[in-house]
Amino acid sequence: MNKTQLDLSIPISGMTCASCVSHVEGALKELPGVSNVVVNLATNKAGLSYDPQQVGLADMRRAVENVGYAVSSAEIVLDVKGMTCASCVAHVESALNELDGVNEAIVNLGLGTARVTYIPGLVSVSAMKRAVRDVGYEAQERSEGADALDRERQAREEEIKRQGRYLLIAGLIGMIVMIGTFYDMLGSLKAFVPEFLSYKWVIGLLTTPIVFGPGRQFFVNSWRGLKHGVTDMNLLYATGIGAAYGIAVINTLFPEAGFGGEGATFFESAALLTAFIILGRWLEALTRGRTSEAIRKLMKLQPKIARVIRDGQEEEIPADEVEIDDLIAVRPGEAVPVDGAVVEGYSALDESMLTGESMPVEKKTGDNVIGGTINKTGAFKFKAMRVGKDTALAQIIKLVEDAQASKAPIQKLADWVAGHFILGVHMLAVAVFVFWFFFGYQMFFDPNSSFIMSPYKLGEIGVFGFSLLLSVTVLVISCPCAVGLATPSAMMAGTGKAAEFGVLFKGAEAIENASKLDTIIFDKTGTLTKGEPSVTDVVASDELSINNEQLLIAAATAEKNSEHPLGEAIVQGAEQRGLNLVEPDWFNSIPGHGVEAKTEGSEILLGNRKLMKERGVDFTSLISQAENLEANGKTVMFVAVNGKPAGLIAVADTLKQHTVEAIRRLHKMGIETAMITGDNRRTAEAIAREVGIDRVLAEVLPQDKAEEVKKLQALGRKVAMVGDGVNDAPALAQADVGMAIGSGTDVAKETGDVILIKDDIRDVIVALETARATMRKVKQNLFWAFVYNTLGIPLGAGLLYPFASLVISPEVAGLMMAVSSISVTLNTLLLKRFKPSIRLVEETSNLPQAQLSGAQAAD
Amino acid sequence: MEHEKVEKEVARRSAQIYLPISIGAALLFFLITTLNGDYEPVASFGGTVWILLLSLIVSMPIVISAVKKRFQKE
Repeated sequence: MNKTQLDLSIPISGMTCASCVSHVEGALKELPGVSNVVVNLATNKAGLSYDPQQVGLADMRRAVENVGYAVSSAEIVLDVKGMTCASCVAHVESALNELDGVNEAIVNLGLGTARVTYIPGLVSVSAMKRAVRDVGYEAQERSEGADALDRERQAREEEIKRQGRYLLIAGLIGMIVMIGTFYDMLGSLKAFVPEFLSYKWVIGLLTTPIVFGPGRQFFVNSWRGLKHGVTDMNLLYATGIGAAYGIAVINTLFPEAGFGGEGATFFESAALLTAFIILGRWLEALTRGRTSEAIRKLMKLQPKIARVIRDGQEEEIPADEVEIDDLIAVRPGEAVPVDGAVVEGYSALDESMLTGESMPVEKKTGDNVIGGTINKTGAFKFKAMRVGKDTALAQIIKLVEDAQASKAPIQKLADWVAGHFILGVHMLAVAVFVFWFFFGYQMFFDPNSSFIMSPYKLGEIGVFGFSLLLSVTVLVISCPCAVGLATPSAMMAGTGKAAEFGVLFKGAEAIENASKLDTIIFDKTGTLTKGEPSVTDVVASDELSINNEQLLIAAATAEKNSEHPLGEAIVQGAEQRGLNLVEPDWFNSIPGHGVEAKTEGSEILLGNRKLMKERGVDFTSLISQAENLEANGKTVMFVAVNGKPAGLIAVADTLKQHTVEAIRRLHKMGIETAMITGDNRRTAEAIAREVGIDRVLAEVLPQDKAEEVKKLQALGRKVAMVGDGVNDAPALAQADVGMAIGSGTDVAKETGDVILIKDDIRDVIVALETARATMRKVKQNLFWAFVYNTLGIPLGAGLLYPFASLVISPEVAGLMMAVSSISVTLNTLLLKRFKPSIRLVEETSNLPQAQLSGAQAAD
Repeated sequence: MEHEKVEKEVARRSAQIYLPISIGAALLFFLITTLNGDYEPVASFGGTVWILLLSLIVSMPIVISAVKKRFQKE
């Protein structure tokens, strides 16, 4: 092999100065076979010559990354047509991955897409398309948003039409072939069938357009693949149909050739086999699109029109053209075109399509609105804050698409098995042929034997014809289409379903991991609790004749000018109770201790125990109550009026509305719950007791949260972390599944594997139940797919023949194969009926009483 | 262009391996059936063609991908 030097220009990112240049240059120069390295800081490119026999692009990328820089990459999604099974996935992936400049290619059978990460300049999109075409498929760039939706639907409709047309041809002619073949058995019906249809050469003439018309796709695609060293389902069909047709032609033209003569002209096998395979493909094309309905539903939510107010005039413009800060009017019944904040008006919005929340959400000035939600009652105006790809809806669509395009570990295994399976099947076909040719035929053949589900006798078929028949049946019956469809179809349906309920899985791996969870760690502040203190207890002293309300008014008046969070909580607590506050005549803040104020002739002192001690106020009568409150994790403030103890006010971070219910339900599901917090152990344990949390991880510094997750993982637990803050990000990343609350920080949402769109902790249960239901479906699908192949292959190979003198004909094998993949797809579609337990409960409680009693009466 | 060149070279080298393997397997089948004497010539020929076809289908992907990998390493 001659050594060839090739020139290359690699885009580098992360370089800021001349020393970066020398680092990158040095790293590349060290590689064997690399010479003439010139790194240009201005263009961010490294030019070099290299010997492909000594060094690959992957080595260069690694070398650059090892010194702290990156080779810039881009991503493209290709729509790939013609993929039918897991082995197709493997072929397209390997064709793309083999291209120089492609970092990674992930193919999704269900979506019919290939997501390619590549180095721009090193490989072109046309080269990718060519590589896909070379292995027998068609590829084109995918466009964004609604265009993609239209194109995807158009492509699917075209495929349904194409296979439908083929099915019509193959089905109709196949029926005539069938009638002609069994002419002698028609009895009195013979009068309606012309006799010439039973002539072998007529049957042969009728079969030929089926094999070379609708069946041509199998031969063309399998040859394209074979040329590049890949085998797929098409090859199984092509060898099956080709062998049946070939042997029938020989037996018709040369009946004395010894292949079984006229008694073994399996034209109807070739014709019906083609018809059944096409029936399977047509049904698959019909049903497969339905598993990706979630994306379609989400895309349909994107409003087309926005009513923008410019120069005081309302004008309708396409929603895509709305710009940030545009003022937009929304009337009742209309959809909110983009994300923004209400500046005028009041209304209630139906956000159920995005959050799963069934009740309309009230919106007033200052509240945020989400594009795609529906305005129910009033009219309002809002200012656009996020448009185009930045809207929440656009991001949700992208997340769901990414999740559907990703691969779960179980799917990678299934793809690998299915990819290698076809080769194994061909080896098995050789073994079956050799066995029946040299041993089986002589030992077991009975001329009166027949096919299963057919009165057709094997008759005079010779050793070659019989062995070939069984060999072909093995090829046809072994098709692992169902194995290939089992996982991706369920994952697509599952991620879509979860999105409907306001839970976004970022990948198929997240679903698989979530289904295995046994421990969930909750961050305390902002996740289990509201994250802001509020008044929980007011205890008036008996020593002064004031009630709780008066005590709270006194405390709130003193704190009115305070900026301390606890002070603000007291003021807010008084306001929420509808109490009237007055301005204090005098106010003084005592840092670290409390405040003092004068109002209407009274002196109010509010603060901690130390302050009261310093000022000589005796709280002995209330001390036990104060200690009780503190034991429950509350912060107690002492209030004195005119130097006498007036009472206690307890403030605490309160639980979110559904926290206790969520934890109770998780326990029911067999999940151990833990709470992680920086609070002291006593406070943390008090809250854990209230919520029902099993394990408390208290006094944990933010940077140590990930370490706590690791400790639980080391015990063999599958851990999820639920959090919302920046400081939760390392723990979210460390956990097997990181769940970020939708109202949380962007960092948390970017790090998490799952995003809970609503600020409802019960969605953790929705996530778990959806993941479990999806994985259950995956396992059911894989089980049935493998059961089909495990039972089908021995039957096809003639295992029953020595005992029952029955063999499966290739066309029945084709029908079984089609039924198996359709049954897997239909089983997946059952997932559409799935509803998380919480939604079921909500729906039941939302039923009008009359309806409920009607339903009960019906029961 | 380079990619196509490589593909052609891989195809040429692979054919040098899988063709002898497949033809060898088919010839072996033919030899056994002929020497055995119990088989009609047409069964022998038919079987030989079928074995040749299946052997090609089995050996082509294995050999091509192995040659491709070796080529890339070289």
